[in-house]
Amino acid sequence: MKAELQGVSARGWICRQCGIPLEILPVDITYMGSSFQVELPRCRQCGYTFIPPDLAEGKMLEVEKILEDK
Amino acid sequence: MPLAIVFDRRIGYLFPMEQSELRAFEKRCTQEEAPACQTACPLHVDARAFCGLMAAGRLSDARKLLERSMPLADLLGRLCEGDCLAACRRAEIDAAVNMPLLERACVCFSKPAKGMLMPSTGKRVAVAGAGLSSLCLAWELGKKGHTAVIHHCQSPGGRLKSVNNAVLPEGVLADALDALTGLRVEFILVDSFSPAWRDKALEDHLALYIGLDDASVSLADFALGGISDFLTQETAMPAVFAGGAPDTPGGAPSFVRAAADGKRAAGSIIRLMQGVSPATARENEGVYKSLLHTNLEDVAPALPVIALDPDAPTEDEAVAEAARCIRCECLECVKHCVYLANYKGYPKRYAREIYNNLSVVHGLRRSNGQINSCAECGLCAAVCPNSADMGAFCASARREMARSNRMPPSAHEFALEDMAFSNAPDIAFFRHEPGASQSAWAFFPGCQLPASFPGQSADVYRHLRRHLPESGNAPKGGGGVGFFFRCCGAPARWSGRDLLTAESAASLRADWQQAGEPTLILACASCMSFFTEALPDIPVISLWDVLADLPLPEGAAAAGLDLALHDPCAARHSDVTRARVRALARQLGQEVEELSLGGALTRCCGYGGLASAANPVLGDAIALSRAKDTDRALLTWCAMCRDRLRAVGKNSLHLLDLLFPDGSAEQAATRPAPGISARQERRLSFRTTLLHDAWNENPPENAGMDSITLSMDEDTARKLDARRILRSDIKAVLLHAKDNGPQFANPDTGRSLHCLRPKQVTFWVEFTRTGDNAYDVHDAYCHRMVVPGVPGEGLDTAATCEGYSRKGGRM
Repeated sequence: MKAELQGVSARGWICRQCGIPLEILPVDITYMGSSFQVELPRCRQCGYTFIPPDLAEGKMLEVEKILEDK
Repeated sequence: MPLAIVFDRRIGYLFPMEQSELRAFEKRCTQEEAPACQTACPLHVDARAFCGLMAAGRLSDARKLLERSMPLADLLGRLCEGDCLAACRRAEIDAAVNMPLLERACVCFSKPAKGMLMPSTGKRVAVAGAGLSSLCLAWELGKKGHTAVIHHCQSPGGRLKSVNNAVLPEGVLADALDALTGLRVEFILVDSFSPAWRDKALEDHLALYIGLDDASVSLADFALGGISDFLTQETAMPAVFAGGAPDTPGGAPSFVRAAADGKRAAGSIIRLMQGVSPATARENEGVYKSLLHTNLEDVAPALPVIALDPDAPTEDEAVAEAARCIRCECLECVKHCVYLANYKGYPKRYAREIYNNLSVVHGLRRSNGQINSCAECGLCAAVCPNSADMGAFCASARREMARSNRMPPSAHEFALEDMAFSNAPDIAFFRHEPGASQSAWAFFPGCQLPASFPGQSADVYRHLRRHLPESGNAPKGGGGVGFFFRCCGAPARWSGRDLLTAESAASLRADWQQAGEPTLILACASCMSFFTEALPDIPVISLWDVLADLPLPEGAAAAGLDLALHDPCAARHSDVTRARVRALARQLGQEVEELSLGGALTRCCGYGGLASAANPVLGDAIALSRAKDTDRALLTWCAMCRDRLRAVGKNSLHLLDLLFPDGSAEQAATRPAPGISARQERRLSFRTTLLHDAWNENPPENAGMDSITLSMDEDTARKLDARRILRSDIKAVLLHAKDNGPQFANPDTGRSLHCLRPKQVTFWVEFTRTGDNAYDVHDAYCHRMVVPGVPGEGLDTAATCEGYSRKGGRM
């Protein structure tokens, strides 16, 4: 589950408010009572996390469906 | 067939279901029943599978299959009399498949399978007589490691020795006896049998079998009265079994039946040696009537193959004859239902899987998707000879899932939010007819008709107001034609949410009572189903029944196109309304083709049961399959059917396109189906326009949201529709970005990216702001997982399955 959501790059996006590039940092994501830590592009200062469309519509959707059927 | 389970569509099956109830449902589906040929065969040879292998030229595999149920197949395969011939369903079309010929060819052109010799159990069974039944019994015992000791007064074989050499060539019997010896079967020559011999045999062996198909053996020799059970082959004396006698006194014994006697007696003796009653677990042994339903309508005639030498058919002749087998099976429902076919099974298997799915405590509930993908259209029950209703089964399973809070939240969320949108105070309304203070009737178009046909929905209302009070049907109390705009609550019911359904029905009832309890004129067949089932005391009538009695609207005309009539699946049981729709078409001078799966056998467009909401891909496949039922354009009287069929490329018209034409019929048939955002926006504008035009009201606008202008290309719009992202969702994100500043920027492209979690979904929008309130939307996507740093991230999935009515409210 965790491995499926890794390996995402920031693709040129920066944190607009802090004005700094995003870094690959650990983040806790949760759904349906399950929680796991993955590494995703984040702003080190404000904590905004970037989710690209292919992750949301791909692996993330798959994992959501599995968790919903659990 | 009387079934224990009584099904009431309003109640459904009750989960958690008892095993016995599951079994009762399973019994309705005959797909797993053995075919008639197999149940008529005393040995229960799987003739259907055998023919399949023979037709494919796989003779060795066919032989292995034959040997599974036929003892001494090399011998018996040449002698089978074909008890299946009288039961073969092919005989109802032309002539039965010649199984004896196939079996003969199979054993002649293939080699026996080499079986493993089981270790000896040391258990010995005495056999009197060496006819075929005794040899078969010895074979069955020998395969299990038991030793049969055959006592005989004449050389072994009994009647086999007198069979024509052309049928049973020399050497075949000797080979069979050799094979038996290989299974540790012993042959002992004796002078005669007697009660004393019997007692001695029972002293030395665990059981005794008396083979009456050996001329030198008779029951009288053993001082035994007769066989007391013709299934177990028991006699009155414990541990003594007998069989192989002719069925009729003085008649010749059938080889296959004698073999079956020996085989069943072996089964009894094995049970006896295991310490269980010989009668244990013998269901469906012996010959019985098959329950398998097989539709022969589409079976093409195929004359039987005449072998040049019936005693020695060629391999080619056998393969050709085997190809005549129609492989009896039911699958009546699966043939007509894309959903049922999609999961590669049939209702009996599905019911078991669903039953097991609901019982999963830890682990994946793998059938959730399947349960939620059924359109609950009822076609399966309509075509099933036993009315097995997979839709009703799935509906009950959904209710159990929702009740136990195990319903995947994403499956119906959009549909339920859409329902809440339609019932929110800024959409739903009731008004008496302008100038009237009470309503005898109220037009209830439902939520989808005005979303698909806003202009024509208003035309219908005008037409009803003008003609209905003059029609002579006005009730005594008087009153005009009011207007009732809201969703009936069918999506709640489809989604399995009992509480939400009850809540929705109660709120609808309260609104109806407040309106003075008018008779509701329903345009939508699904609304009609919902009212009939959930609110049976509210008087309702179909719009189409009403319109058929009124004068045709001015401008109403036939389409001038070749049309086929598609009835909505919710009208499967509405014979009267379907007839009135046809009457309307006739009044218009519109000829329509009746589809073979039309009327009471109509097929779903994929919207029913929220199938397309839970499984959009399958929903589209269902619509496409319906579209392919005819080359003609379709004429329907359901807004969702029209739009869903059009969305898969089928030229489709709604009956309102003929009654209240707006442009040419060609234009109407190809008019694109509105997307999900457009449907909501049209409801809103329909409300605004109707309130203004009919009641001179001017409802306030939503200043914040309405001030935002979005532009996006068609591809993006289509993508967002598929992702169930509304323009209003995007506007909410953009308003938040405007107030708080977007979260991400891309210096290379100059674009911004912002996300917001206004409900159990996080929406992301990639955009360029082109003006104060103007935006180019490049992409938008969403996910349900909660990621830190998103405004509104506290909204996890804590909402229960019933929590969709918050937006709704009284009018």
